[in-house]
Order: sequence, then structure tokens, then C-alpha cells
Amino acid sequence: MSLPSTTDRPGPEGGPPPESGARRHSGGFRLPWAFIVLVALLAAGRFLLAPYLTDPALQTWATVFVAVCVQALPFLVLGVALSAAITAFVPPSFWTRALPRHTYAAVPVAGVAGAVLPGCECASVPVASGLMARGVAPPAALAFLLSSPAINPVVLVSTAVAFPDDPSMVVARFAASLVVAVLAGWIWARFGRAAWLPAPRRTVGTGEGKVSAFLDAMRHDLLHAGGFLVVGALAAATLNVAIPREWLTAVAGVPVVSVLVLALLAVLLSICSEADAFVAASLTAFSPTAKLAFLVVGPMADLKLIALQAGTFGRAFVRRFAPLTLVLAIGVSFVAGWTLL
Amino acid sequence: MSRQTQGAVLLVLGATLLSISAFSTTYLNYVRPGFRPLIVGAGAVLAALGLLSVVADMLGRPRAHDHGSRVAWLLAAPVFALVLVAPPALGAFAARRDDGSPARSRTAAHDALARSGVTELTLGEFIGRAYAPSSPTLAGRKVRLIGFAVPGEGGRGWYLTRMQVRCCAADALALEVAVHGAPAPAEDSWVAVTGTWVPWPDGVPDEYAVPDLTATEVSGIEQPTEPYE
Repeated sequence: MSLPSTTDRPGPEGGPPPESGARRHSGGFRLPWAFIVLVALLAAGRFLLAPYLTDPALQTWATVFVAVCVQALPFLVLGVALSAAITAFVPPSFWTRALPRHTYAAVPVAGVAGAVLPGCECASVPVASGLMARGVAPPAALAFLLSSPAINPVVLVSTAVAFPDDPSMVVARFAASLVVAVLAGWIWARFGRAAWLPAPRRTVGTGEGKVSAFLDAMRHDLLHAGGFLVVGALAAATLNVAIPREWLTAVAGVPVVSVLVLALLAVLLSICSEADAFVAASLTAFSPTAKLAFLVVGPMADLKLIALQAGTFGRAFVRRFAPLTLVLAIGVSFVAGWTLL
Repeated sequence: MSRQTQGAVLLVLGATLLSISAFSTTYLNYVRPGFRPLIVGAGAVLAALGLLSVVADMLGRPRAHDHGSRVAWLLAAPVFALVLVAPPALGAFAARRDDGSPARSRTAAHDALARSGVTELTLGEFIGRAYAPSSPTLAGRKVRLIGFAVPGEGGRGWYLTRMQVRCCAADALALEVAVHGAPAPAEDSWVAVTGTWVPWPDGVPDEYAVPDLTATEVSGIEQPTEPYE
């Protein structure tokens, strides 16, 4: 796990190429042991354990856990496929033409471009990784990573539906999220070090190699990022069932604390960015600024996302990037809440 | 983790996603109905990728150098949760934990309800109408509501409840109506309640309060295929 996710991918330049090296014909047919063992375990568990797993708390936990996984997996598959396609099929020259050469100018352009990926945050992590592999400057790719789950049309429409009497909430969410994404990109451009990110992915050869590289990249990223997604889902489900909601109403009236509490709640609950506006709207006891912080922090730094980033970009990266986005998101929410709401 | 193991995990996960979405309606316990094509697609991609790896390995095809991380084993966790616990739709346990108030659409226009006969309403619409600022479209009208029973704390009364889900069960909110004039059914049992709304004593309240309903008939029903509103 400590290995950066992209360095152990097979490729023509690094490690033995799939076609020529490491050719191990073990001579004929081998049983798929791993598959047989997995299915046997599932079948045995179904008959031996299942009758005892009926506690309502456990069932509620399992429902939320499975729900987060089932909801996020299609977006992860989509993001991984897009990322693998970007690395395998889009030439690097495309990005140098599409984005301004200067990194500080490329950051806001990439941030606004986040609006075109309609999906939740799980898709944006692998896509940002694919962009970096194709030569897009990391600060620009990170601005895209942060802005895309918060400012795409699907999310803005659902925010408008959740706050029917309050169109300024949509404006504030859009503006605050974009500002946080651009600021984070610029700060990373000024202070970030290349060593905190994994080495760029190697480019892919031509012909048949492209398709097999595409499939290998997809399989690798799915397993790796998917494993971390499950870590995030486990944590989110546990906290979802374990946090007593009465604690929330107790602090709702306190000015600054209530904003910090909702920001923390957004981190812990890891609700999909397409649905978080409805949850925010239901927290009626809280101030609009607190709700805005919930909407800005959630798509940028929730548990599920932090786990995914750790899996994709490595721990050295996430140890610096997650606190940076969290502090920026809370700070910008305060300012936007005072000026816009 | 060998390529064969990686393939096995992907195949089992993909097959599970397909079985809860393409071949049954179990997925409705976890996400909105609109997610079906996405889940079927993801399941098919995962299963195909897994199958490719497993078959390539069975036939002894050359291996790319693979040392995928152990964290990938965790992808089997949702499969085990689905097969061993078979998590049902959120019920009374989740509803009791939620004390937020549902987001009400105060601006939505409401058509007048039929003066005679019974109108079937969702809990969300019933609560929305109860909070409509001007026209008392509910007063005196007979309505039929569907939900599960949540007995009140300390055996006082009971609530007809349904969870409202916008994306997945992690964002569920409880819609509740307090039912009067009928004994509490068993916890988590699904019922259809026919009755009339009890008007607010002093106009629409500012703070959210659960609306009341006087029941004339309570009958047990099967859990709907779509458990959430």
C-alpha cells in the first residue's frame, strides 16, 4: 500500500512487457482456486452465520455500508474507465493545447472545466490521476479534482431543488467551491513538491499494446481505488449509525461552533454530492453559513474521498492535501456565508 | 495478490452487483430506482474484467508482473455484507435515530383533493400539504397513506413512517405522521392507513412538528417494491 499506485503498473518501459517477458506457460489448465474459495466461503457463511446476523443495528449499518458502495461503484468504474482512456488514447499534445501553458493560469481554467464531468466525487479522483499522467500540471488537475464534484450541473440543480426558497445557496455553493478549488491549486503550485505525488504514469505503446494496457490499467485502478473506497464506506457507515443526532441539535445555535460541527459532519458522513443538499436542507436548526460549509466541505474532503485519494495519490500527498482543502473550504464558507447569504 | 485472485474478487463483486440489479429488485433497498442502468453497467464491466483475468490465468496465459495491494481484498466486503446479512431496507431503527425535519417544498402548488372518496397520497405530499401556508387542502378529506409502523417511546401512540432517499440510503430522512384512533401494529410492519388530517390547533407551526392523522382503517400490506419515497 505504501507503493504509489501507478508505479507497479505493467508498461513497455518499466518492468517486463506483458507480451514478451515473464512468459510462464505452466502447461495447460489451472483451477481458479481463489474464485472457488471465495464462493465456498460465501456459501458456508450463508448457512452457518446468516441466521445470527439479524440485530437491527447491524442490519442498519450493513444497509448504509452496502448503499454507499453500490452508489459509488458505478461512478468509480466510470472514472477509472475515463482515466484509463485518457492515458491510453488521448495524446499529451491535446492537453498542452487545451490548457494555458502557465500553471497559475491553467489552474482556474481546469477548475471551471470541472463543471463538465457530471457525476459524484468518486469519478473525479481517477480522472484527475489520468490527467496528471498525461502531462497536465498537478495543480491544475487538483483544481479539477476539487471543483468537479461540487459545481457540475447535476449537483447545482439538486441544490436548487433542495433549497426552493433560497436561490442564493446555489450561487454561494458554486462560488465558494470554485474559489476553494482555485486557491488549493495555486497554493499547491507555490508550495507543493513533486516528491509528494507518485511518479507520473508511463506512456503507452501503440497497436495491440494499447488495448491490453487499457484493460490492465482499469483492473489495477479498480482494485486499488475500490479497496480504499470500501475503507471509506466502512467508516462512513459506522459513523452514520454511531453518531447520536441529538448532539447536533444541541450545538445548532452556537455561531462559529455550529459551522465547524456541520463541516465535520460532512467529512464523517460521506454523502454523495448529488444528495448532500437535501440532508443540509433538513438540518433546519443550523444557520445558512453552516449549511453552506456542509455543502462545500463534503464533496472535497469526506472520509470516502480521503481514502480514495490516499489509494490513488499516496499517503504523503493526502496528509498535506486533505487538511489544506478542509481549512480552505471552512474559511471560504465563512466568507461566502457572510457576503452572499 | 495474484492476477487470478484479483480476477476472482472482481468477478464475484461484478456478479453480485448484477444479481441485485439486473436479476432482482434488491438494489432498491440501497439506492434510487434511477441507478439501475448504472449498477448493471458497472456489474457487467467488473464481471467481464474479472472473468478475463480468471480465464487467462486458467489457460496459463503469460502474466504481467502483478503485485496488487492487499487492500483490494476489501472489495469482497460488500459481497459478504450482501450475502451474509442481506441488509433489508431501512426501518424503525434508522427512523428513530433521525430527528431532523424533512425538507418541505412550501412553494409547490397543490391541487384540490376529491371531496368524496379516498385519495392516495405519499407521506411526503401529505406533510407538504399539511404545511401549505394558505389553503387547507387536507381539511376534512379522506386520504390513504402507506408506510411502516414505528411505535412511540414508552408505548405512547405510533408513527406511520417512510424513509425519503435522494441518492442512497446514507442520506435517508424519516417522514413521519402520528396516527391516532388505532392500536399500534407490530414494529416495522407495513400498513396502509385511511383517515383524515388533524388540523393545527394554532395555524401552521414555525418549528417543525409531526402532523397528526385520525385513522378510520389500518390494514397490513406487503412491503412495496420501492421501499423509499
